[in-house]
Amino acid sequence: MKKFLSTLFSATVLAGVVSTSSVVNAADELNVVMFGMPYTKGLAALADDFEAKTGIKANIDVIGQDVFENRITLSFTGKSGDIDVVHTPVIQVQRWVSAGWLKPITAEVDAMAVKSDIMAGPLDAYKINGEQWAVPYMAATGLMTYRKDILEEAGVEVPQTWEDMLSVAAKIHNDDTAAIAMRAVPGQGFNMFIFPMVMRAYGGKFFEDYTGGDLTPAINSPETLEALNVYMKLLNDYGPQGAGNFNFAEVQAAAQNGQIAFAVEGTGIAASLVDPEKSKFADKTGITLPPAGPAGRSPAIAVHGLGIPASAKNPELSAKFIEWAVSTETMTKIALAQPFSNFTTQPVAQNEEVVAKYSKVHPDFLTVQAEALNLAIGHYRPLLPEWPALGQAIGENINAALNGLSSPEEALEAAEQEMRDILGN
Amino acid sequence: MTSSTHLKTRGRATAELEGGYRRMMLPAVFAVGLFAIIPLAGMLALSFSDYHLLRGTNWEFGLKNFVRLASDKRLMNSVYAMAILSFFGVATQVLIGAAIAVGLSKIVGRWRLGRVLFLLPYAVPHVAVALIWLSLFTPTLSPINAFFDIFGITVPSFLTTKNGALFAIVMADTWTNFPFTMLIILAALQGISPDLEEAAALDGATRVKTFFYITLPLLIPAFLMVTLFRFIDSLKHFPMIFVMTKGGPGRSTQATNYYAYIQTFQNSNVAYGAAIAVTLFVVAAFISFYVAKLNQRVTS
Repeated sequence: MKKFLSTLFSATVLAGVVSTSSVVNAADELNVVMFGMPYTKGLAALADDFEAKTGIKANIDVIGQDVFENRITLSFTGKSGDIDVVHTPVIQVQRWVSAGWLKPITAEVDAMAVKSDIMAGPLDAYKINGEQWAVPYMAATGLMTYRKDILEEAGVEVPQTWEDMLSVAAKIHNDDTAAIAMRAVPGQGFNMFIFPMVMRAYGGKFFEDYTGGDLTPAINSPETLEALNVYMKLLNDYGPQGAGNFNFAEVQAAAQNGQIAFAVEGTGIAASLVDPEKSKFADKTGITLPPAGPAGRSPAIAVHGLGIPASAKNPELSAKFIEWAVSTETMTKIALAQPFSNFTTQPVAQNEEVVAKYSKVHPDFLTVQAEALNLAIGHYRPLLPEWPALGQAIGENINAALNGLSSPEEALEAAEQEMRDILGN
Repeated sequence: MTSSTHLKTRGRATAELEGGYRRMMLPAVFAVGLFAIIPLAGMLALSFSDYHLLRGTNWEFGLKNFVRLASDKRLMNSVYAMAILSFFGVATQVLIGAAIAVGLSKIVGRWRLGRVLFLLPYAVPHVAVALIWLSLFTPTLSPINAFFDIFGITVPSFLTTKNGALFAIVMADTWTNFPFTMLIILAALQGISPDLEEAAALDGATRVKTFFYITLPLLIPAFLMVTLFRFIDSLKHFPMIFVMTKGGPGRSTQATNYYAYIQTFQNSNVAYGAAIAVTLFVVAAFISFYVAKLNQRVTS
């Protein structure tokens, strides 16, 4: 009966998939599923390289992030075994591991020659219960871009703190060019990728003592409230019209069209704003660390890697693919072909062509990025299986306050209550 | 004697014929069973279970999820959003569709080909429709805002207010779905015999009177049908919300279907998500049944 029900459950979940390709793997064929980013697109373009080297055909499927999450959830719960290598964002890895969706790959990774070349921080981010669950290929961080010409004209310096930012914004904000835009739409990967940079700078935190293991929700604090007020004031008083519904694409477009002076964004978007090929204001745009607060600076961090699903039929081949995908040679090719500077395989940064390419984008780019990654804390967003649910709930409340549907005090109180509900305490 | 034999033969023939028809239905029965009944049964089982993606299941079945539904404020919020989106969306689509259908039915000659133009929005994938309307409603990207800016008029930002965001989604939904209502009503209009209108005209009825007393009553079954179809579809709101607002501002546009998605995929609460989906299904089935009955009464 139980077996029948469990099959029925899986079948039900699977019934929702329309586009799941149920490719039956040949012995020397691999299915890789990833969502669209410069690295994944670059990797897909190199599939023939992999085949030429190993004789194994890799079907690299790069899909939209929203479709991706449904696709893999359905494939993993249905244990269909149709995915051999999966894009594993660090923010999801705890959830996937507790659901039993990934295969531990400690031995496989130890056997990889490239292991010692991979940045230790991002590699460790995939270590849970003493096992390695994925191999990182990139670590994105939070950066701030600013329009040098606007600051010069107003006679102001690049703000070093969020307080400075408020006063600079008041001076430069006008109808044609708003002072600043940041992600605002609700979601753990949207406003909750950016807002914690302000929150942590003011000493706000998600839990009483995350590192000490005390997971009592503590977001309703005077520190987070102060940070939320700053975030709201910046976007509501000094942001472009409609800023309360901006996602990264709108932030990027506003900066590229010269409608904002400051953008605090992830590495990918920030890089596109200082790249002359991508933005006509690039030569007037500088790049630096996100502002600090009383508790210092806390750039965002998002690590992405490759893992092997528990249901994968041929884990050895999968490991071989991962080793190739994070190798210095493959990474260098992608760094040259795509706007991909946040690789975690370190020798790539010594390649002269790579250095030349990113210095041309912006001379400070690689150094600022390294500095931000150094400052970033691994658990910037808590590494918990429940994070997607927590981030969604907190993000919705933050967005409600930003758009005037609740007061900031009410929003934080509701967020903390919902965190308790989700964690069951 | 002869007549009874004849009757028997006829009875056998009918039975054979019916048996044949039944066999012909088998593929359809199989397909419906496989793609509708089994997943539905599974969803029903899930909705009574405690299945959670992270915590697994203790194989406890009961009404827990449904009891929780009754006190879930976020669900109430989502029902409100869904009701607004469905009511205003379907009403505008039916009205606009009907108005255009009436207009188009009067067009003759080669201009009739112009109808195809009105069908175009229906052919655009929903995600693309949502992206188009997202940029129209984003002040920094919108040509509408840029145009009014020339005259110094600031168009308000819709997507950052509760009612504005709901309105924006209704607009996008209407734009892509009015061709469907238009098409059905147009077909119904063409099915009305011109003799009726001519007869009314001969009796001295004005065109307006003919429309309201002859044409409109004859269109009621078509109206009921499009309203029902569009209503059921409107309970499944997802792409517009996902692309345009992510359920925001706050949770203002988090319609029930979107909320079920959040419970299932973000919160890993598959059983509770299924309970929401089952409830939605029951509501839709109940309303469909009622409308079908109403339709029967109208047509008879």
